Amino acid sequence: MAEHAQPVRKTILDLFVEGARQGWKIATTQTMPNVVMAFVIIQALKITGLMDLIGMVFRPIMGLWGLPGEAATVLLAAFMSMGGGVGVAAGLYTSGILDAADITVIIPAIFLMGSLVQYMGRCLGTADVNARYWGVIIGIAILNALLAMWVMRLILLFV
Amino acid sequence: MNDRPNEVPQVTWKGYLALLLAVLFFSGLFAKSPNWLKVLDFTALNGSFGTIAEQFTFRGSGGVGARDGFLFSLELMPAVILALGIIRVVEGFGGLEAARQLLTPLLRPLLGIPGAAGLALVASLQSTDAGAVMTKQLVESRQLTDDERTVFATWQMSADATITNYFSSGAALFAFLLVPIVIPLLVMFVFKFVGATLMRLYLRRVGGRRAA
Repeated sequence: MAEHAQPVRKTILDLFVEGARQGWKIATTQTMPNVVMAFVIIQALKITGLMDLIGMVFRPIMGLWGLPGEAATVLLAAFMSMGGGVGVAAGLYTSGILDAADITVIIPAIFLMGSLVQYMGRCLGTADVNARYWGVIIGIAILNALLAMWVMRLILLFV
Repeated sequence: MNDRPNEVPQVTWKGYLALLLAVLFFSGLFAKSPNWLKVLDFTALNGSFGTIAEQFTFRGSGGVGARDGFLFSLELMPAVILALGIIRVVEGFGGLEAARQLLTPLLRPLLGIPGAAGLALVASLQSTDAGAVMTKQLVESRQLTDDERTVFATWQMSADATITNYFSSGAALFAFLLVPIVIPLLVMFVFKFVGATLMRLYLRRVGGRRAA
């Protein structure tokens, strides 16, 4: 028996419910607001015709990974916050702009280059990382994301 | 996290068992299993919604905007609740300590940082803030040099709080994936190490220039 265990032993059921409660909190305070935000933004971009424009402008770039131009909005949103990136990806999937293969390709990128804006403070700032390397670290995270999308494309060839 | 976050907790066999079961559960390897093994699959336990009018889920079809997004997010919630519930169980049985034990010997060869960073590394898989605080403490207690911290931070920054974020935010996309859910997670891990290696090479280059 582990010595560091809590004084009152929790059963597997207690643990599950504890985690599920945390999941409910995340689902209601993060997933839902992020998804609603993403759906509203996507709707606004569609109404204004900007979505078509983004699709056209980014088509040559996102085409490198076999993705439609609109997928760029997923990466831009992810850079701000992972939850936002996921929300936009889900929204584009339900409106038929991204298909299942596109989601599969882009999902690791959402996290690898995700929330970098806020993590500059929360990770690099808190850990006191030498400020002269922050730019390189951000660059590497984005590079990771871009390379990972090619790897996913490659993996999809075998499924 | 307790007051002395870098004090190493004990690893038990239950921890390894919990970790193994978690790996199998979230891997998606049993998603298409025809028999009872399916009980080991996340998607199987997450189930499906009943249909309304024998055709549509309660979300219906053809909706747009905030209302559609709201109903859609309701569809996503059970996955998040289930995933976090399971992860808490694994954590409670010491699964993360087991993960730390397994990862620690890899730190020197893969990242060039001492094994003492294992606890901070595993913490950073769950919480960005915990990982960052523990990293700072490792440097303050002289277990990590400044350059090692930079490499370690590069590893953390790309897909930070990997487990928590992937299984909470990411769970919303699991239903659409064409590959088992473990595959994108593995790809993310590989690239965390790729990124850190790039940083090591970069530091060696600028370090060499500094010395010259």
